[in-house]
Amino acid sequence: MRRRLVRGGLALLVVATAVVGPGFRLAPLAQPAGAAPAQPAEAALAQPAGAALAQPAGAALARAAAASSAYGASKTLTRAHVAADGTTEVVDERKVTVRVDQTTGLQGRQRLRVSWTGAHPSAARAANPYGEGGMAQEYPVVILQCRGVDSASVPASQRLSPETCWTSTRQQRSQMVTERAAIWRKDRAASTGEREQKTGISPWPSAKVCPDVDFMSTHLTPFVARSGKVFPACSSETMPPEAATGASFPPAEIAAFTDLEGKGEVQYEVRSAVENESLGCSRSVRCSIVVIPIMGISCGRDAATPADEECRKPGQWTAGSSNSASLGVDAAVSPSYWWSESNWKGRFSVPLSFGLPPDACNVLDSRAPVAFYGSELLSQAALQWAPAYCLRKDRFKFQHNRMADDVAFTLMQGGGAAAAFVSRGHADEGATPVGYAPVAVTGFAVSYVVDKPGNTGEALRLRLNARLLAKLLTQSYPASYSGRQRPGLEKNPLSLNTDPEFIALNPGLDKQAREATATVLSLSESSDVIRTLTAYIAADRDAAAFVKGKADRWGMKVNPAYRAIGLPRAEWPLKDTFVPRSELECRKENPAPYLSQVAAPVSSLRKIAEAVLDAWPNVQTRCERATMSDPWKLGRIERQGVGNRFMIGIVTLGDAERFGLRTAELQTQRASGGRPARFVAPTSTALKAAVREADGGTLGKAFTLDPTTLRAEAPRAYPGTMIVYAAARLEGLAKKQAGDVAQFIEVATRRGQRVGTGNGDLPPGYLPITRTGATADLYASAQEAADAIRAQKGLPGSADEGDDKSDTPAADSPAPSAPAAPLAVPTAAATPPTKSSAVATTRAVTTAPTGDTPAPLAGIALPLLLGLAMVLGVAAPAAKQLVQRRSRR
Amino acid sequence: MTPALRRLHLRTWVVVLAALLTAFTLVLRTASPAQAAYAQIEGSGSTWSELIVRQWIADVDAMGMKVTYSSGGSSQGRKNFAQNVTDFGISEIPYQGVDEYGAADTAGKRAFAYLPIVAGGTAFTYQVRVGGKLVKNLRLSGDTIAKIFTNKITDWSDAAITKDNNGRKLPSLRIIPVVRSDGSGTTAQFTTWLDKEHPKVWRPFFGRSGLTSYFPRKGTAIAASGSDQVMNTISGDAGNGTIGYVEYSYPVSKKFPVVKVLNKAGYFVEPTEHNVAVALTKARINENKSSPLYLTQILDGVYRATDKRAYPLSSYSYMLLPTGAKDQRMTTAKRQTLVDFMFYSLCEGQSKAGPYGYSPLPLNLVQAGFAQLAKLGTADKGVNVKNRDARRCNNPTFVKGDLSRNHLAEIAPQPAACDKVGAGPCGTAPAADTGATDKPKAGAQPTAAAAPGAAAPSAGAAPQVAASTDPETGQPVAAAAVVDPESIAGVPTELTSSALGDRKEWFGAIAMLELLLIVTVPGALALYFRRRGAAR
Repeated sequence: MRRRLVRGGLALLVVATAVVGPGFRLAPLAQPAGAAPAQPAEAALAQPAGAALAQPAGAALARAAAASSAYGASKTLTRAHVAADGTTEVVDERKVTVRVDQTTGLQGRQRLRVSWTGAHPSAARAANPYGEGGMAQEYPVVILQCRGVDSASVPASQRLSPETCWTSTRQQRSQMVTERAAIWRKDRAASTGEREQKTGISPWPSAKVCPDVDFMSTHLTPFVARSGKVFPACSSETMPPEAATGASFPPAEIAAFTDLEGKGEVQYEVRSAVENESLGCSRSVRCSIVVIPIMGISCGRDAATPADEECRKPGQWTAGSSNSASLGVDAAVSPSYWWSESNWKGRFSVPLSFGLPPDACNVLDSRAPVAFYGSELLSQAALQWAPAYCLRKDRFKFQHNRMADDVAFTLMQGGGAAAAFVSRGHADEGATPVGYAPVAVTGFAVSYVVDKPGNTGEALRLRLNARLLAKLLTQSYPASYSGRQRPGLEKNPLSLNTDPEFIALNPGLDKQAREATATVLSLSESSDVIRTLTAYIAADRDAAAFVKGKADRWGMKVNPAYRAIGLPRAEWPLKDTFVPRSELECRKENPAPYLSQVAAPVSSLRKIAEAVLDAWPNVQTRCERATMSDPWKLGRIERQGVGNRFMIGIVTLGDAERFGLRTAELQTQRASGGRPARFVAPTSTALKAAVREADGGTLGKAFTLDPTTLRAEAPRAYPGTMIVYAAARLEGLAKKQAGDVAQFIEVATRRGQRVGTGNGDLPPGYLPITRTGATADLYASAQEAADAIRAQKGLPGSADEGDDKSDTPAADSPAPSAPAAPLAVPTAAATPPTKSSAVATTRAVTTAPTGDTPAPLAGIALPLLLGLAMVLGVAAPAAKQLVQRRSRR
Repeated sequence: MTPALRRLHLRTWVVVLAALLTAFTLVLRTASPAQAAYAQIEGSGSTWSELIVRQWIADVDAMGMKVTYSSGGSSQGRKNFAQNVTDFGISEIPYQGVDEYGAADTAGKRAFAYLPIVAGGTAFTYQVRVGGKLVKNLRLSGDTIAKIFTNKITDWSDAAITKDNNGRKLPSLRIIPVVRSDGSGTTAQFTTWLDKEHPKVWRPFFGRSGLTSYFPRKGTAIAASGSDQVMNTISGDAGNGTIGYVEYSYPVSKKFPVVKVLNKAGYFVEPTEHNVAVALTKARINENKSSPLYLTQILDGVYRATDKRAYPLSSYSYMLLPTGAKDQRMTTAKRQTLVDFMFYSLCEGQSKAGPYGYSPLPLNLVQAGFAQLAKLGTADKGVNVKNRDARRCNNPTFVKGDLSRNHLAEIAPQPAACDKVGAGPCGTAPAADTGATDKPKAGAQPTAAAAPGAAAPSAGAAPQVAASTDPETGQPVAAAAVVDPESIAGVPTELTSSALGDRKEWFGAIAMLELLLIVTVPGALALYFRRRGAAR
């Protein structure tokens, strides 16, 4: 009996931990409320620490594999008309397969890879297939996000329909056309009611709300918001508030292009209730992605009418063609009538589940923030780290302020900032010694968006070497015939993609010269990123020789304005002063250095990431004027059309991962002998290989990541790898501030190195710093710096600077105050945090260094009360027994 | 008791326990952060205030607020707002009624209020090289500036410039004014000043009176789009001889020199946070709450401020806040996001104005701003606008007991004697930073600051250092650590620190264990005792 009782209790405990787990933690795979508790208990406990440690080597940088939540399904889709004699005439039949790479634990603005095969090849490709822009195409694949799921087992209110599918404009949902063009009324799958002249909404809105023309055929697809409010969608005023054309937040829904082989792929950005409240998708409100491969409407039998002829049209554009001018298409095979029954019933609906949004700091927290200033490389990490500080009363309100590294360093030295984030040793101008604590390993990437010619999709790989980057930065591509006038550039290829050196590395891309392809969008401010980038160029023999004036073997030469510019440097100057002659009135009115307008660097790396995301180059050569009588002005050129994109920019690895930007592989080894050249992408393995070579870091000195050494010793190392340090004064900081900075370093290098997307986690784009392995020196160095910053006693033994004690920086330093808990923690985080074991380990590590500040009473109250109750509960039967026994006596 | 009965008892325990556990977890779950207490808001407009607005956006991101901002210039910001394209706009100037091209420049039917967000100085940054070296201590009078931008003075060796620099003559070099090509609030601020202070120079050039958002580019001037590109044009190698106007933050972050502008007291000063704060004590704010222009600025007093420290081209930047109860873009969650985004920016966000090259708003404007924000609470009862007290903002302008005073203006260092008309110029040796030229005099806090551009201690340090050491701020550290118990709009409370892994979870687990024990132990004990009793 007793044994059984114990067993039962244990089982319940297991259930309890399993159920409590997801309640407390971010749980991407959280069970729906009604699920049997026993199963999730097993599932949650079945993947303990062992699995957590198995982080695949060479996986894409810190991106958790989510194969288990991928979606795949196939369907046979048919277009079949009813012939005059009543028989069915099949005009097209295809087996379409749709895949989505991840469907669970989603966050707002996350990008999912949606791919398909077997679809009808598309035609009349639009320059901008998103939102309304995608309507003038033939046979695209329409992808929408809709509230609800396609399941008979859920209540009707939770099922999706065209009315819960989001579109950014009313043109995508409502049509008013002449009878001849109203082909949805000929849809053989449509019910009798749907063939009426006015359909889609009942009761019909008043003429005041939705002005209508009696003799026209009108179909409205109202939008039903999460709140239940119905938007008739007959005009832009009757659309939900999130639908505004020209908003800074572009539409996500797309009429995507299928190539000649029937394949296609897009990165689809999902929106949560935070981004789109009316659509309202969240952890508790289920949603789906709906994929509708347009096959063309299947038409009914009354073939005699003009409308029926329209309905049967097979498309007028040839497969693979472009339609950048948005000319007319056959409506029957266009995406306009995605809601019409024969299109709609061919849908694939992919159920999504959203994760909990991460916790956030409270705006009413009036503690003064402890301001760190500096490197933008840390922005994405700082965003996830901040709540891990502000939500705890025993920590402080951490804030990262982006600022040029050297400006931030000076600010810190002068006492204007608690600490500065920098990526290399900065000149110690003041007398105050400064300690460097490595807190992140990340870097920059050369991101790109490049379409392959002939509407065959995006280029998935781009290879660059140091000389190509040097050519781009030195404005050595003339960009256009205006730039060709510049003395010294006459013989250079117009742009990167026409350079034989680039073509040899990246065969199969288009060779159409564009101004945007003659440059790499870069930073106007000084930054350690630019320094690392230019150090990479300087360390490459060919690139350095090119900058000094040596032509490459195709005869291309450096722009004379940049010849022999000093490398490396933290700030990239605009040196070309050439103003081309032009007959254009606009150019005559606005004489300006042409190539600098092509380069047009910006003041933050985040802006570059957004520009690449939108394929919107920052080239400032567009001539415009408001009216004929106004003067001409120069401004930013238009966004590039999909199918014709070719743009490159320097971004942080954090932003690249956050926005899903593609990143170029950089050359680390030249071809020599029989060995081919080596190119390295920014993976965690490649970052690790680089950081292994980091050398010479001590308390008062940053590590050196020498590009020449990297080239020689570590060809698998990613050249854009950078270490970010928290640099703080070792003397003269107020005690509280010194303690805060030290605490920051300790938490950031321990708990803050656990990979994940939750509070306090290290986001994708960063290589975790661990106590052992390639980053061991960094870890030790950080702990030492934290202690020295807390102590504020200056540099120990700063007299013997020349001494090379750096080999064992941590050897003589006191052991970190935390108990030597198993530090498998950082790697453990790659898996969803549902395991109690990993959690416990982490907890031990995080809390220890911060001291034993008493927790707020509220937090203890419940356990205390329950403890009391327990004592009483035990005492009562015992007392009863005692009394009984006594009385018996 | 038969074994069967005992088993039944046990089962009852188990069922009760399971029920309790379920109830408990349900409680825990509902305590998780309310979904969509915030909703994403979008804005567009000014590049003048862009640098600090972007930092604020990054800051509130950590508080769960998603804000997007595109900087197409103030004119674009006002236009987008009027067309319901955005949730807010940012502009240096109010709606003008009619724009330069005769098109409407109004908010249309959209109800809105002006909300001052930050102060700053419109700086003149330049590149003039002598023997390859950058001149860093140029000083100009308003009249000279007006003549430069209207193409009356076209060479750096001009006598007027020489006179402004106390007889130091620059080499002959063509002046290239760099102006904005897009509709710009910076241009509007600059031309307002030109029109008010130098009408005889400005009006003939412009062809009429008044301000414009589109600078009439003529002659050798270059027009560039946005403050970023103005800065690129000036700092590039082709920029020798250029001068342009941007908010002070741009040259600060580019480490480029700015012109010291002559004020009415006869001193040449830079747009540091202090000098801007001093000048803006003379701004006339429209305080008529029923006026559509409530809180907008009339800067005549600023232009003519007689304090030695006042920077004449100081001004405020504004947000266009949608206050209509039926605003077609607004929802409760969006209004809450706007309120909290601006609460943060007006409050704590002001403390970093200095390091970025802006100047914090004085508290009376912060409070008036809060009152404007409260209109969103009036429009929508679901919006929480409570618990927002300007005095707890760590605002460096704060003077205890008098919200209209400006601490920064009071501690602002006096200009150096060499900055006076007829003296100097200061820093004839090129200085690494401009701080060298106006060394703080007595009364200023001592500092080793090589802070960007600013000579005096930067505001960034103030909240941390000053709070514990400087009684003047009235902001003791201990008080600052108190967290407001009333959480706003479902922003996470204690039990929700999901991934934090802190000890609250431990208490949760302990509580759980105890609950379990409460339920099982008495039963087990009872059974045990009963059995013993039975055995006897």
